[in-house]
Amino acid sequence: MKLSKIFKNGIINDNPIFVQLIGMCSTLAVTTNVTNSLAMGLAVIAVLVGSNFVISLLRHVIPDKIRIPAFVVVIATFVTIIEMFMKAYAQPIYQALGIFLPLIVVNCIILARAEAFAFKNGIIPSIADGLAVGFGYTIALVILGSIREIFGAGTFLGKTLFGANFQPAGIFVAPAGAFIVLGLLIGVFNFVRNKKASSEV
Amino acid sequence: MEGKVLNTINSNSVPDMLVVSSSPHIRSNESVKRIMLDVIIALIPASIGAVYFFGLNALKLILLSIASALFFEAAIQKLFRKEITINDCSAIVTGILIAFNLPANAPWWIPVFGSGFAIIVVKQCFGGIGSNFMNPALAARAVLLASWPNIMSNFVLPGVDAVTGSTPLAIMKYGGADAGASATVAQAVQELPSVMDMFIGNIGGAIGETSALLLLIGGLYLIIRKVINWKIPVVYIGTTAILLLILGVEMDQLIYHILGGGLILGAFFMATDYSTTPVTPLGQIIFALGAGILTALIRVKGGFPEGVSYSILLMNVASPLIEKFTAPKIFGRAK
Amino acid sequence: MKETIKLGLILFIITAVSAGVLAISNNLTKDKIAEIAMAGSIEALKEVFGEENDFKALDEGRLDEIKKVNESTEEIFEVYSGESLSGYAIKISSKGFGKTNLITLTGFSLDGNIIGMRLVEHSETEGIGSKATLPDFTDRFQGKNASEEITVDTISGATITSKGVMSGVNEARKVFNEQLSN
Repeated sequence: MKLSKIFKNGIINDNPIFVQLIGMCSTLAVTTNVTNSLAMGLAVIAVLVGSNFVISLLRHVIPDKIRIPAFVVVIATFVTIIEMFMKAYAQPIYQALGIFLPLIVVNCIILARAEAFAFKNGIIPSIADGLAVGFGYTIALVILGSIREIFGAGTFLGKTLFGANFQPAGIFVAPAGAFIVLGLLIGVFNFVRNKKASSEV
Repeated sequence: MEGKVLNTINSNSVPDMLVVSSSPHIRSNESVKRIMLDVIIALIPASIGAVYFFGLNALKLILLSIASALFFEAAIQKLFRKEITINDCSAIVTGILIAFNLPANAPWWIPVFGSGFAIIVVKQCFGGIGSNFMNPALAARAVLLASWPNIMSNFVLPGVDAVTGSTPLAIMKYGGADAGASATVAQAVQELPSVMDMFIGNIGGAIGETSALLLLIGGLYLIIRKVINWKIPVVYIGTTAILLLILGVEMDQLIYHILGGGLILGAFFMATDYSTTPVTPLGQIIFALGAGILTALIRVKGGFPEGVSYSILLMNVASPLIEKFTAPKIFGRAK
Repeated sequence: MKETIKLGLILFIITAVSAGVLAISNNLTKDKIAEIAMAGSIEALKEVFGEENDFKALDEGRLDEIKKVNESTEEIFEVYSGESLSGYAIKISSKGFGKTNLITLTGFSLDGNIIGMRLVEHSETEGIGSKATLPDFTDRFQGKNASEEITVDTISGATITSKGVMSGVNEARKVFNEQLSN
């Protein structure tokens, strides 16, 4: 599979949040501001690349029958490593992500890519796929986080944007707002995607 | 009260027996419009009352709300390349109802945001008139309350000076003292207003909910015109009253509970909305019962002094289920 | 049967390698993590007791003994003014409103007076429970003595958080009283 196609798939056609609708739990919880969204995205990219790489490396060695436990062990190991290093060298982000950092282990996206791609493809394509899907995830999170932070708190990356008179709409940083904005974004994303697809034909 | 209507010559006189399902019926703009106009007429007394008690602020909010609702509906329908149906007047009704839920000193962008959310997200994104699953005005109110709790809970007393004061329900819930009170309800040690004041509407509160008298006049009009089923508001208010008594509210406070808050507004104008409540007669009763129980529970046990909006919204969501269980049996079909 | 053994063996190897890698990572990071935790505590301790004091973590054996009796004890520090012991700082974990426990650090002088209190870790609601970190609230504990149950006015709208902090301080007080008798 061509690398460019892998990237296009990961970011657009198979976008984990907007198209596949997996890994939504952490998405909704973490996107209250852009900083956390970015942090989470980067953590997921790191885990995805690491786990895809190792699983692709071992794909002829891991028997089919025990592949799921094997995947989970590999994924959990990577998440724990990242957690440790974040705790040591990036405390503020570690605090901000809270429990959602270890929850990456059960994030559907990682397991799905391991099963659907890394177990069946070579090392370089698997790394590319990890990067691509991770990017797709991060882009989705940052868009959602931006909307929620700008309208719900009046800031971006922590910096206040508007004057004192601006009263942000609290609904956006609340869980209800997360669902509503995400729903609308999914609609818009797929509308544009389908339009482009039909015009390309 | 946006709703779907059977395509009969005179929809006002359709006997209850024929109202059986909610699947698409041929709907003409004209029949929706006729019902909407009736609702608007029914809301006029309370609108005049709002302006009388709360001044030009109230008028400004009502007009802004209506204008925004119409604008957003036309705009979004144009964007979705659908037929523009603002002349069915359903957006006007939504606009008025949203404004009725606001305190008189709300800034201009509150009704605009509320109408936008109600029309775009709750109504049009889910399929437009008749297909919304939640009352748009109440959903907008819930979102406004969640977004700007300090503005939405800061009610004013009637009069030109816009003095902030508590609603009767808030006084009953939190008492005069501040200890333990919610930080968002401005507290002043006050006596409860007289029952006559409650009835006419000379009390603090949202601009459309204060006057029981004017709302009842409108409600009566709708019943006479056969736009709404009288059983719904009666069962709703009755259930609320009975459950409040069971939960320990004293008899002399009960009248304040009935006349105060959005109970009358909700019971006559929101719990009777066609598309968000069950279509079957028994279903409607169950809806009113459920809403009554929830309202009483929230008011007594819950964290808010007012429970009508959440009760109706919760029952909206339960409506499809209620409809399913109260669907009339069809003759002759094998089990 | 043979296949089961083979599968088990492969899984064993995978998990063993994984454990090894994790052990290495842990070694690489654990000192830095402890350092950061300590720095966080020192900062809070300096705020409470003043810059010129020295702080030493309590001897581990003794800490473990105390933890057996008071399970919510996280850490205990001895406060030295020059060479002489002048007080104790006790870190307690207690239940608040948020998802994780509240971590309170209460500083006592030797005669049991509370020098100060800080809420060092919490996941309370921003703007509501988070007010418990502000001096307006933490100052209320100053001057109280460990000899009696400590109560302060709660923050309006944040009763659960306030009560959680109070229970943390009272737990610290219990630990202090047991310390004194040792």
